Amino acid sequence: MSGERTMRDWYAPLEIYTLASWLRVAVVVNIFLLLFDYLRDDGMVYSLGGIALMAMLVYSLPDGSKSWRRDVSLALSGGIVLIGVLSILSAPIGFVIWMESWLVIPGFISLYWISSPHVSRWNKERMEIGRIEKGLARNKEHAAAYQRIGKHVILAHFAFIVLLPVIWIIDISLSPGNALGGSLGDSFTTEHYSKVLGGDQFRIWMTNSLIVSIGTTIAGLALAVPAAYAFSRFKFSGRDPAMFSFLLVQMFPGIIILVPYFMVMKTLGLLNSHLGLILAYSVTALPLCVWMLKGFFDTVPRELEEAAMLDGCNRFEIFAKIILPLSLPAIAVTALFSFLAAWNEFLLALTFNTSNDMYTLPVGLASMISSSGQSWGDFAAASLLVSLPVVILFIVFQKFLIEGLSAGGVKG
Amino acid sequence: MVSVRYEKVTKRYDDGTEAVKELDLEVKDGEFLVLLGPSGCGKSTTLRMLAGLEDISEGEIKIDDIRINDLPPGARGLGMVFQSYALYPHMTIHENLSFGLKRMKGEQKLSPEENKARVDEMAKMLGLTEELSKRPKELSGGQRQRVALGRALIKQPKVLLMDEPLSNLDAELRHQMRGEIRRLHEELGCTTIYVTHDQIEAMTLADRIAILDKGELQQHSPPMEAYNNPANEFVKGFLVKHLNDIKETADTLFKD
Repeated sequence: MSGERTMRDWYAPLEIYTLASWLRVAVVVNIFLLLFDYLRDDGMVYSLGGIALMAMLVYSLPDGSKSWRRDVSLALSGGIVLIGVLSILSAPIGFVIWMESWLVIPGFISLYWISSPHVSRWNKERMEIGRIEKGLARNKEHAAAYQRIGKHVILAHFAFIVLLPVIWIIDISLSPGNALGGSLGDSFTTEHYSKVLGGDQFRIWMTNSLIVSIGTTIAGLALAVPAAYAFSRFKFSGRDPAMFSFLLVQMFPGIIILVPYFMVMKTLGLLNSHLGLILAYSVTALPLCVWMLKGFFDTVPRELEEAAMLDGCNRFEIFAKIILPLSLPAIAVTALFSFLAAWNEFLLALTFNTSNDMYTLPVGLASMISSSGQSWGDFAAASLLVSLPVVILFIVFQKFLIEGLSAGGVKG
Repeated sequence: MVSVRYEKVTKRYDDGTEAVKELDLEVKDGEFLVLLGPSGCGKSTTLRMLAGLEDISEGEIKIDDIRINDLPPGARGLGMVFQSYALYPHMTIHENLSFGLKRMKGEQKLSPEENKARVDEMAKMLGLTEELSKRPKELSGGQRQRVALGRALIKQPKVLLMDEPLSNLDAELRHQMRGEIRRLHEELGCTTIYVTHDQIEAMTLADRIAILDKGELQQHSPPMEAYNNPANEFVKGFLVKHLNDIKETADTLFKD
């Protein structure tokens, strides 16, 4: 009965499947943690040993045919737990606990699961077909839950890594004094916020940044949308070289264009003006915007335009009535990107503006940490305030962002 | 009297390939002409030149003895149904239907009330009254096809053009829509040019068929005449043999 044999060959309790994938993840995480050990100059013996045992465990998990595999696995799991405990004992308590728990906890889980009755029975005896059927049903029932747990553990780690700097800055901004250190949540004050918001300077910088960023967005789109449409729809001589030259500019670090831009702005008398920055930013943002929008316009079927032509539209009407409404998500995303680029830009703003009244927020922020005194608390509060509009924009445009980035959904 | 005449029409692309070669073709008033041929034979190009979506390299196309070579597509008084329907996804069915009406010029221009009456009438004729406020993506394939037909017909075009309009539908719907298109044609009496590569479609719909191969007209005659007296080997192979094969298959299937 080949069907029965296939079933027997393929069946393994859920614990085994789950362990196989979770242990692999744990090995990868431990290899990253090894890097920390190396950087902190801690002893690497425990971690290396743990990784080796874990890797061996992955390949010696019970497979239902050789019963000695279970004993080896149990021994290896025990070894992992032991190494984990030893390394916790040898190091001072603190952050390290979390690092070593990536040895202890996987070790415990595999000890517990491999010694569980399901696995033991499957490992020891030749199971009846009815039992296997029940086991398969049980696997199916719990698989989703186990996967969810594993996913969330990993995602929580990533979220923590991403959020750690933000949490740190929030803490600094709420702590009295202007020091960088301090531990989380030991004391609380809003003095930095009231100082930043109360002063004129921050408001001036904010106004400058808003004018420049919104101006850049409008000017950039006004240039990029028609350009991208032309690149997408028309054939003209110099089209491909022009598209390439857009990319060419992106290949060099921004600092190369700094001096030429400065000379141009000086000649035009646009230093210390909003217009100068708006011009420079919209030009630098243009290549990305044009390429993004062209990519979207390419996905709008030509037949739509042809239908509009037969309905009596001229080129401009087609563009305004058909293409633009369909491309709103893509245009919103492009607008957001050029706004962000202008909002966060530092180098050009620093070079073009010499007077404090013309500073944009990034330049203003940097000026708070001058050689004369470093007010980290004010700085942290101000940087959080600076990122606030961006966060709001992202929340508002979330729907558009997802639509725009997964563009092309204009089918009939 | 609406008649369409192709006079020595040639379509040559930039790279020198000729999609259509010196085509002479006449479509009579109220006639249902099917352009039939294998893919790449130039039938779509022939249609698109009439619609104004492709430039005409040489020769003239005349509608009612007026040379239309240089008229913009919207001014030629045509309605067209596309293979992919090409409905405007961001507009409701009502807006889709009235989009062209609003852009009519001169004497043909209608008041908003007349526009609405036209849309309602067209929707009634095609059984779309319930769907007028929906968007194309909420409609089934057959309904979308109907909207596309309605959008082409609503301007009461001189000539109705259809470019493989049924090839996106499943067999059952295709059969049903074929009957409906023929019925509409008889009701409205509108001169129609229909492009397809499907021999059955051509035979059942056409008053006359024009069979094309490699950009050249092979035969231009009523369908049964093409079947009974094929003009050359190509027509024999592409039309007669194909239909006989189908007949034979059907006969074997239903022998018992």
